[in-house]
This record gives sequence, C-alpha cells and structure tokens, in this order.
Amino acid sequence: MLEITELQRDYITEVLNISMGSAAAVLSEMVNEEVSLSVPEVDFLQRNAAANKFDQTNAARMSGVTQSMRGALTGDALLMFPEEKTLSIVRILLGDTVPVESLTEMEQEAMCEIGNIILNAVVSSVADLLKKEIMSSLPRFIKGTGSEIFSVETCDNNDLVMFLKVDFGLESQSINGYVTLMLNVDSLHDFISQLDEQISAV
Amino acid sequence: MSRSVRSDVININSDEAEIIASPSDHLFGKVLDLSENGLFLVDSDRKIILWNEWMVEASSLNRGDVIGSTFVEVFPGLKGRRIESVINAALDTRTASLLSRSLNKVIFPLYFSEARDEARRIEQSVTVKPIQSDGHDYCLIQIIDVTPMVQREDVLRVLAKEAEEALQVAEEASRFKSEFTSTVSHELRTPLTSIRGSLGLIASGVMGELKPEIGRLIAIACNNTERLLFLINDILDISKIESGKMDFVMGPVDLKAVLLQSIEVNQAYGEQYEVKYHLNDVIDGTTVYADTDRLMQVLNNLLSNAAKFSPKGTEVDISVIQKDGVIRVEIKDYGNGIPVKFQSRIFEKFSQADGSDTRKIGGTGLGLSISKAIVEKMGGSIGFDTEEGIGATFYIDVSLYADV
Ligand SMILES: Nc1ncnc2c1ncn2[C@@H]1O[C@H](COP(=O)(O)OP(=O)(O)OP(=O)(O)O)[C@@H](O)[C@H]1O
Ligand SMILES: [Mg+2]
Repeated sequence: MLEITELQRDYITEVLNISMGSAAAVLSEMVNEEVSLSVPEVDFLQRNAAANKFDQTNAARMSGVTQSMRGALTGDALLMFPEEKTLSIVRILLGDTVPVESLTEMEQEAMCEIGNIILNAVVSSVADLLKKEIMSSLPRFIKGTGSEIFSVETCDNNDLVMFLKVDFGLESQSINGYVTLMLNVDSLHDFISQLDEQISAV
Repeated sequence: MSRSVRSDVININSDEAEIIASPSDHLFGKVLDLSENGLFLVDSDRKIILWNEWMVEASSLNRGDVIGSTFVEVFPGLKGRRIESVINAALDTRTASLLSRSLNKVIFPLYFSEARDEARRIEQSVTVKPIQSDGHDYCLIQIIDVTPMVQREDVLRVLAKEAEEALQVAEEASRFKSEFTSTVSHELRTPLTSIRGSLGLIASGVMGELKPEIGRLIAIACNNTERLLFLINDILDISKIESGKMDFVMGPVDLKAVLLQSIEVNQAYGEQYEVKYHLNDVIDGTTVYADTDRLMQVLNNLLSNAAKFSPKGTEVDISVIQKDGVIRVEIKDYGNGIPVKFQSRIFEKFSQADGSDTRKIGGTGLGLSISKAIVEKMGGSIGFDTEEGIGATFYIDVSLYADV
C-alpha cells in the first residue's frame, strides 16, 4: 500500500472539499433544498483492498454512478452508496416518488446526473492538482458488490484506487458514500510530485 | 442559407461548413438529419454551428435562423441556467454532463407541434459533450425525447397509488370482518349455551316426565342446539386463526394418552355410524411436542370424519409411525375416499365434497381447514392418501419432544 504524508493528505482533502462545496451548491440550487457534500477521508488502496472495504462496510449491495476517464488518468471514477441509500438520496431529492423497491428508469437517470455533478467536481480538482487534463465520459448507473464493481477477477490487482469517503448531507441526515478513482502507478507518482510542488509553493 | 455558414465566420473548415450548410447534399449531413435525437453543435464562441432536422422540427427554427447566432441569442430564456453552465464547462474544461428529465423539469422549449402548446412539450434528457477537432473546441448537445418514459412512469405512479389504496381498503375490511365475526359469535354463544342447558334439563326428565311426542321434539331441539354451538366454536376458531390470536401452549404431550382419550370421546359418535375405532400398538411413553387441547381438537375432527364417511360395519385404524424424529399419526378408513376433483380444495374453508344443501351427513366443512392451521402452527403438517371407493388415510406429522 502507498503511504502519503499527513501534509499531502490534508492538502488533497482540502482541495477536494472546496470542489465538493461547489458541487453541493449546484445540487442545492437544482432541488431547492440544502445539500451539503464533504470528504472527511482520503486513502490510497490497492484495487482488491478497496473492493474488500466496500464488501466489509456494506455487506449488502452497492449502487451508484460510474464515468470512465481518459487523459492524465485512465480508468473508472465511481460514486457508490449502499443500494438503499441511493434510493433514499434520489427520492429525497426528487420529492414525488413511486413506491417501488428499486429505482425506476427516470430515477436512475436522475442519480446519474447527481453522480455526474459530484464526479466532475472530484475529477476536475484532481486534474487541477496534476495540472493536466482528464476527460471523462457520460455517467452510467451501476450496481453490484464491491468485487463485482472493481472487477477484481479481471483486473491487475496492483492498480491503485484513490478512495474517498463522502458525506452527503440531506434533510438533516448524513448519508455515507464513497468516491473512487482508479489510478495507475505512473499517474500516482505524477500526482505525488505535483502535490509536493504545490504544497511547497503555498 | 449558406450565407450564414461560412468557415471564416465560425470555427470550422470549409468542407465541414458545406455539409452543415446543405446537409441533404452530403452523406454525413443526411445521417445527422435522420437521427432520432436532437443534435446541435456550439463552438468556442458559443455560436451554434450545426442544427439537425430534429431540432428544426421541434424548435420551429430553421438552420438559417440559428446558425451563427450564440446559444443565448437563440434561447434567451436559458441564460444563467444549468444548461448554459454545462456548455461552458464542456468548452472550458472539456467536461461531459448529463441533464436528467427529473431534476430539470424544463430544459429546451421544444414541442411536438408548431403550436407550442404546453401539453405538447417534449420531455427531455440532455447530454453535453466536449469535442475537439483541428485544434478547436466544440460542444455537442444531444436531446433525447423521453416523453414515453415519463408517461410510463406516470402510469406506474398512479397504479402504485391505487394498489396501495386498494390494499388499505382490503385490510380495513378484513379487520372489520374478523372483529364482526368474533363479536357476533361470542354474543350467540352465551344465549345458546343457556338454551342447551335448559333443554338438557328438560330432556333428562328431572323437571317431570315428558310425553313421548314432546320428548322427541325436545331431542331434536337439543341436537340442533348442539350443532349450532359446534359451528359457532369453529367459526370462532377460524377467526382467531386468521387474526393470529389463537394461543398455543406448547410442551411435552403423551401421545398414547391423547389418542385413547380422543377415541373415547368419539366412541359414541362412531356408534351412530356403526364404525369401530381400532388403535394399533403405540410405544409407551412416546412424547410429542404440541398443545394438548389443540392436538385433541385435530384428532377429534379426523376421527369423526373417518366414522362419518365410512360404511356401516367397518373399522377405522389408527397407528403411530416414528421416523427421524417425526411422529406420524395415521387414521385409515374404508369409506368412499376423496374424489380426485375435490382433493385440491379439501383443506379450504367450508369445502365439502358434497356441497349440496340436502346433504345427508352433518358438518360445515370447517374441520379440516382448522386442523391444518393448528397442525402448521404447531410446526407440523397434515396430509392424506386416498383411493376412490377404497378409503382414505389422513395423517399428521409432529415433532418428537426429545428433538425440540
Ligand atoms: N375420511 C374422509 N373420507 C372421505 N371424505 C372426507 C374424509 N374426511 C373429510 N372428507 C371430505 O372433506 C370435507 C371437509 O371435511 P371437514 O372436516 O373440513 O368438514 P366436515 O367434516 O364436513 O365439517 P366439520 O368438520 O366442520 O363439522 C368433508 O365434508 C368430506 O367431503
Ligand atoms: Mg370434520
């Protein structure tokens, strides 16, 4: 596993929280309701460790949104919540609900938009940190267990994952989710050296 | 029209400008026009440089009206809205975005008819993607018509709401029904019990010798009062079972003792039909896990059925079989058996093979449905084997006490 210094961690966390703040502002305006977003924790984990973390903390299934990235980072960006939490987020934000157990087509689309806003914020702040361009695809709705989502079986397990805990504050409840960005080792080294440069510039 | 599409005015090369100016003369232009989605392209100056046929129809704006104008000039109402900022993001930071129908009730003013009638507005889902070509940045806006999806979900919502309401009504009705049944049954039982008591006293002769005709009438009255009481007790049981209020006191039960008692209780009833009960060997001390009174109730019904549906002079064989911690009590008769057509309904309430009003044999068809519910509540099961014309064997399976 990769160790980053406390200083590096604090710096990333701060940068991410600023962009999450603006994503929350966009969401609040859209739904006319107070929405808050914050990133209390940042980690760098190996792919299978990240999958385990999903499976352990949420024995149940997860669902959320994925976008694929190209450019300075290649791989998937994911925003995941335990399946029933995804349901509550969408239904709280949309207000008028259909009393069925899973998200309807339109609700999935709405979730994609929410994920798109959050993931774009994360990806763009990482691109800013790297001083490079990252392009991402349109969002897609996914669900599954941790290992399904991280395709542990089919991928190189040495790949690293930037693992963010996300607090989604809605109607006085706080819903915990995760954002993950797949990184390869090269982009990670880049990332760390850029980080150090910027930290020393501050 | 080609006037407004000049490559020196907007950021595209002359080949592309030609396609955009007269799409129907070019293969790729035709493809764009045949698309089932709305497509338009904005350059880095926010000017619209491509507008497909779908857009022409839905917006009632011709290419000549929009190409070369900025996005905000064409859609002044969208200034400052989310769509404008995501177009800016696509051009400035090459970010792709999705605008869902649910979170953006109205995006573009697009309609199915030229009349721009609100009821004919197109429900939209919009994607915004950055494109780079020849060193220039563009933004492609695609509009997908999700009107059918919106309509489907509206129907779904109405149906789900109706189903919920119907369920509430049904629950209310069933609660009312079971309360009603249990109240009425209780109210009937009290006076009937006292009528039976009085008739019994008169019939016994302690109030004075009866004339034979009066004695016969009193006997009929006694019998029918008895039947009515049985029926009310059965109905009370059913309503208790259905409302989950039937209590069970589970514990060790000496099976042989219960069987002997049950046979004794039914002896007189069997004699009416000239049928004898015969109990095969039961290992002494066989103990099952059950509620004594309820188990007795089940056995009574099975024994009375066996006698009731057997020809005169036959026997009813009762045996106990033990297998893997399960105790099976079998009650075998040599009657007419159960018609194939009736077998699947036999455990339903009020079901009787002979459903006619003029039945020769008494009963209401509640016994087996109560028995099944009781046996299952005690964790066991009930079933039968039968061959028409030869007989029927009813059995119940319950657990050995030691294994619980
Ligand atoms: N041993 C049997 N042989 C043939 N038919 C039977 C036998 N036991 C039950 N049946 C059929 O199943 C029907 C339902 O039995 P059940 O015990 O539920 O009702 P019942 O005996 O008619 O009335 P109740 O038990 O309520 O007084 C009977 O009316 C009869 O048609
Ligand atoms: Mg019966």
